[in-house]
Amino acid sequence: MTTEPNISTKYAYLNGQAFEIEEGETVLNFLRRHDPSRKVPTLCDSPNLDPFGSCRVCSVEVALEEGGKRKTMASCHTPVTEGMILYPHSKSIRKLRKNILELVITDHPLDCLTCEVNGNCELQTVAGEVGITDIRYPEGENHLDKEKDLSHPYMVSDLSKCINCYRCVRACDEVQGQLVLSMAGRGFDSHIVKGADTSFFDSDCVSCGSCAQACPTAAITDVFQSKSSVNAEKTRTVCTYCGVGCNLEVTATEDDILNIRAPWDAEVNSGHTCLKGRYAFQFYDHPERLRTPLIKKDGELVEATWDEAYDLIVSKFQDYKKNDGPDFLAGISSSRCTNEENYLMQKFMRAVVGTNNIDGCARVCHSPTALGMQRTFGTGAATNSIEDLKYTDCIMVIGANPTEGHPVTGAKFKQHAMKGKTTIVIDPRKTEIAKYAQYHLPLRPGTNVAMLNMMMYYIIDEGLVDESFVNNRTEGFAEFLEGIKKLDVDEMARITGVDKELVRQASIAYASANNAMSFHGLGVTEHSQGTFTVMQIANLAMITGNIGRRGVGVNPLRGQNNVQGSADMGVQPHQGAGYLDITKPEVNQKYNTFYGVEVPSHIGYKIPEMFDAALDGKLRAIWIIGEDVVQTDPNTQKVIRALEATDFVVVQELFMTETAKYADVVLPGASFLEKSGTFTNGERRVQRVNQVVPPVGESKADGQIIVDVMNRMGYAQPDYTPDGMLEEISQIVPFFAGIKWDELGENGKQWPVAKDGTDTQILHLDQFKRGLGYFEFHDFAETSEILEHGKEYPYILTTNRKLEHYNCGAMTRRTGNVEILTEDVLVINPQDASGNGIKHGDMVCVESPRGKVDIRAAVSEDVKPGVLSTTFHFPEIMVNNLTSDVHDTEAMCPEYKVVSVRIRKSKGKYAK
Amino acid sequence: MSDNLSELSGRKGVVDNLFEKMTKAAEATGTPAKEDLDALAEEFLIGKANTYGTATFYDFMKPENKGKEVYICNGSACLCAGTQDSLKSEIEKHVSADKIGHMTCLGRCHENGAFHVNGANYSARSGEEIASILNKTGKARKDRYNVLAAGPDCLTANYPGFDEYYALLDQVLKTDPMDVLTEIKVSNLRGRGGAGFPMGLKLESCRNTESDTRFIICNADEGDPGAYSDRYLLEERPQAVLLGMMIAGYAASANWGVVYIRAEYPEAVSIIEDAVRELRSKNLLGDNILDSGFKFDFKVIKAAGAYICGEETALINSIEGQRPEVRIRPPYPTQKGLFNKPTAVNNVETLAAVPWILKNGGAAYRAIGTERSSGTKLICLDSFFKRPGIYEVEMGTPLRSLIDELGGGFAKPVKAMQIGGPLGGIVPVEKIDSLNIDFESFGQGGFLLGHASVVCIPESFPMVKYLEHLFEFAAFESCGKCFPCRLGTKRGQEMLTKAIKENYKIDRELFHDLLDTLQEGSLCAHGGGIPLPVRNALQYFEEELSPFFLQED
Repeated sequence: MTTEPNISTKYAYLNGQAFEIEEGETVLNFLRRHDPSRKVPTLCDSPNLDPFGSCRVCSVEVALEEGGKRKTMASCHTPVTEGMILYPHSKSIRKLRKNILELVITDHPLDCLTCEVNGNCELQTVAGEVGITDIRYPEGENHLDKEKDLSHPYMVSDLSKCINCYRCVRACDEVQGQLVLSMAGRGFDSHIVKGADTSFFDSDCVSCGSCAQACPTAAITDVFQSKSSVNAEKTRTVCTYCGVGCNLEVTATEDDILNIRAPWDAEVNSGHTCLKGRYAFQFYDHPERLRTPLIKKDGELVEATWDEAYDLIVSKFQDYKKNDGPDFLAGISSSRCTNEENYLMQKFMRAVVGTNNIDGCARVCHSPTALGMQRTFGTGAATNSIEDLKYTDCIMVIGANPTEGHPVTGAKFKQHAMKGKTTIVIDPRKTEIAKYAQYHLPLRPGTNVAMLNMMMYYIIDEGLVDESFVNNRTEGFAEFLEGIKKLDVDEMARITGVDKELVRQASIAYASANNAMSFHGLGVTEHSQGTFTVMQIANLAMITGNIGRRGVGVNPLRGQNNVQGSADMGVQPHQGAGYLDITKPEVNQKYNTFYGVEVPSHIGYKIPEMFDAALDGKLRAIWIIGEDVVQTDPNTQKVIRALEATDFVVVQELFMTETAKYADVVLPGASFLEKSGTFTNGERRVQRVNQVVPPVGESKADGQIIVDVMNRMGYAQPDYTPDGMLEEISQIVPFFAGIKWDELGENGKQWPVAKDGTDTQILHLDQFKRGLGYFEFHDFAETSEILEHGKEYPYILTTNRKLEHYNCGAMTRRTGNVEILTEDVLVINPQDASGNGIKHGDMVCVESPRGKVDIRAAVSEDVKPGVLSTTFHFPEIMVNNLTSDVHDTEAMCPEYKVVSVRIRKSKGKYAK
Repeated sequence: MSDNLSELSGRKGVVDNLFEKMTKAAEATGTPAKEDLDALAEEFLIGKANTYGTATFYDFMKPENKGKEVYICNGSACLCAGTQDSLKSEIEKHVSADKIGHMTCLGRCHENGAFHVNGANYSARSGEEIASILNKTGKARKDRYNVLAAGPDCLTANYPGFDEYYALLDQVLKTDPMDVLTEIKVSNLRGRGGAGFPMGLKLESCRNTESDTRFIICNADEGDPGAYSDRYLLEERPQAVLLGMMIAGYAASANWGVVYIRAEYPEAVSIIEDAVRELRSKNLLGDNILDSGFKFDFKVIKAAGAYICGEETALINSIEGQRPEVRIRPPYPTQKGLFNKPTAVNNVETLAAVPWILKNGGAAYRAIGTERSSGTKLICLDSFFKRPGIYEVEMGTPLRSLIDELGGGFAKPVKAMQIGGPLGGIVPVEKIDSLNIDFESFGQGGFLLGHASVVCIPESFPMVKYLEHLFEFAAFESCGKCFPCRLGTKRGQEMLTKAIKENYKIDRELFHDLLDTLQEGSLCAHGGGIPLPVRNALQYFEEELSPFFLQED
């Protein structure tokens, strides 16, 4: 052991010149900053991994005084200190590097010409840099005969090419937190293993591909040979799969996508992404992609030209508008589409059709978030940024399973929890994060309000209220306090089913953290008390003063890639573009002027109201873009009846979804890889989506389709271009004022963006958008689903998502992901399973008051007795046959999370 | 190695220890069952690859160890003594060859013929003796060796009995911890494991790192072939080691003492465990020791056969149940050690010296030895000496007097001694008069005091074979993390083997490049240390070795 170096210094010397030291930096970092032209070669170093010091190739000579004794040190893990004199390329260092590389190559195949990474191999590059010309060692033991692992639909390994740099092991640990990879054996026999020496497929690998991206050679790669194109031209774009908004680098020829990697410099995902973003792109030119418009003739959808389709749509729409009135038409826009497209769709419905009957999938996911946060804070969006995880001491995750639903953010949460930092999970299920968290409060589904009220009770009881925040920045606290004080916590504990002492401790942990962040998902919103739960989460942040600085706030994990953006753009029946209240005369006037036509000022239908209207004979036509309402909206049979009751159904899609089957006209839209525009992620970051390949077949960018119809209906709208559309949007959406296509850069901007282009990482810094934060107390109310059906249907089914599939699965089921996760299953506690004679893998008949399905049982402790859990990725199961019409009382978000059911071992597959 | 794994392993505290659970799972067959490893991965949330990766690292957990019954020592001293070939053929009369494994150095260097069976170590010469041990008919014979202090007996003094010995603890706990720390700093006690870092500074750094928990670790992984002085202290002076740890804990504000003892010393493990039980029975462990407010407890961990665990960061990884690979520094263990908490790791002999220092004062200790190397040092002499055994000498004692006066001279013709373990220098007999036993004298002479074990290389033993043995040991025990050591030790071994067995001549430039690469490039002293004895041999035994090298034109 040598003496501990002192880190707090100022200058070090290089080539006789003094250069400033950054606090805590390594010698390698120092050299990269000050002498970028003379690269220090490295093999085990990687941009998003901690220093490791295995390859030693980055060694440099260091002296502590002019002419003093030089010591060889690995630059990657040696802190640079005041007065160091660095000799990064001295003769002895060059020799050392060459000698190390020579040793490495004694155990590496020399098949560069036929190797996937030829020309992109870091080992090859470094060997070239240090000038290896021959191997002097006699032939010895080696690992050249290791077999390839081709077991997995995506991941591939050829460990004969492994140089034992551990980058894959570290990526799996430090980035994904999956801990699937390790070394085994020791010394010269050390070798990479997946799990307990199994294959990629049989291991617990989640195929995020971080290991492949980290690997400097072709030892771990993927079926797309993504490393073969490291130097090829790429298009940077944004992932279509969730609200995290990962940046992707797509390599393509003119008409074919070759592979996708994650850019290191992406602020959102720095070199990381999940298997959906990285590998699940094959859907885009799948044989089943819709390639031409289809029109229903004699009950059959047959191919048609665009003109035929447009003519039919225009004539029908104009007919209904004229004869029944504009409110007999409705539109559902898509959160999968760009901001510009969503803006166009709502504009079409409002300005061209003349109705506010426009809604989007946010209705069935985060509408309570938007409403609840608007009521409490004034803005219905995340208060902070994911980057703030670096500054927080405590995270509270409520009703969200981010390692499945938001994998890159989930991995960051997991790192937080694994490092022992305070983590509170409120979720009925033992999620991956819950396993690593100190506090898991496994409440009964549907009791969030009771739980959060209990927490606030304890925070108040323990004297942990941030009084100065409450006094200076909020209103309504006195009444709120009265409500909380009246609570019977024993009763709340009984309702939630969680030990009150555990709740107390978790409350104290949240309230006493210097900075605490909360994150929530659909386990908060998809309840009859969804909006109230959001407001209680916001109240919790306010009473503890966790608003308005780094590392705090209320942060919804937005589901679809652009669900934030679709709402921002006005895809909702009560607010227009920019969340302006359409019922206000001044707002109405503003829109009239801007759109150049009269737009209606009465609130339109929300999605569930559209279906009710259809069943009441009040809806003639509906245009649904990129939303499979049959498979994903609750109470499938009712949705089907509503579509059947609607005279004219237009569905714009990538695939023949369950919903498209009920369409009169099907329009082939373009996927995210085939068009440009912007997506807004869950932290309000507006990022550029760039077209990679032309749309397949005759499909068109969804925005262009809308523009075409607008023009044919007599409204002059220029062709769809992202810059042109953003120019228009920036004039009407206040928080887009400074957003220009050309100025968004690689990493986008977080709204509000001022006219001068300044963006915003943290909202409500000094005051809330609405002025003072508004406290409003709501007591727990049992959902009518339980009150009405709980006795007859004693189990609670809650629905959720799996990592491998996205929503209705239309895209992911047409990729290799389907080989990894092949079906929806019913997760059931061992006690309930044995009580019903059900074994792991048995088919179970699940029946609710609406219908029944047969589904395979997965027996697991991840749910408590009495609670069942499943997904709705597969149309073969159609789990939404079970879900109900119960909605959030305020925002009408369906209660997917509490479904009263009964179960029995299935006698055979129930025929739908 | 991994912050995450350190944290996850530490969640259950040191008592409910992952590594220990793995070694216990290996007891029945010699390797843990896959189900056990998977269950532990699940329990600790660390992934199946990690429990598997750890298990495959250790000699006594790896799958190849399954079904092994007898382990023969293949350390340097037994090798030079030439006792092991005949031992092996004797054992094979009773046990099939596939059930015989190796352990590297059982610490029986003073009598050789060492092997391990039924959880205990033996040395045997005659076939009858071996048969009686294997058949459990004979009586186990405890090994005997000389123990003598040439001067002050800081370490080897007679044990006065528990109560008298532990009176010191009461006195220490009434002293301010900072004064205790000062006393240790004043003594200038330097680490006896080999690196010679001042113990007081280590404790101070540990104390100054903000944390809710700190650890004192006793490094009792005495893996150097030829060394058995730590074994002596653990078995014969266990309370000195434990009391030293408690005092160190008091000075560093640590509440846990972890004694990590190599599996090759089964007797030491049980003796230390007994000693901890004795402390517990005397109410000297727990929350409020002797009403002082001081809280301290022990955890004894039996290792599983990996020389590299003697390196402090590998040792920490080992306790955590991670692969015992060497960590980068900084952070130093005193900043971020066991379970990411500040940790002071000290050698057995260093800790055993602490009670004497607190009893007699730091200044008294400092007065012993030389200016820069204070105190006494235990030296282990192997069976080539007329009087093998453990000798406590003042730092600065001439090597000659150790050999002749204490060891009684060589019993057989010896050409060199490797002093300080496998990474220590090879001292030719003609250099004996130029060396004194202290860190500086050895360093200046181009050697290394290290842990100060002495293994004799007899005249009859070819130096090239000894170098092959060193490289083989280095390669076998390399953790494999850094490129130079993982690859270089193997290639070095291969070149020497080829030169011995075939008509292959080693390219001198290549060989020196290899030594430079190991020395300059390696992450730790394992790969970095092996060139020293090799260079010594090349320097002093050039004539003997030159036939194995290409002759320059």
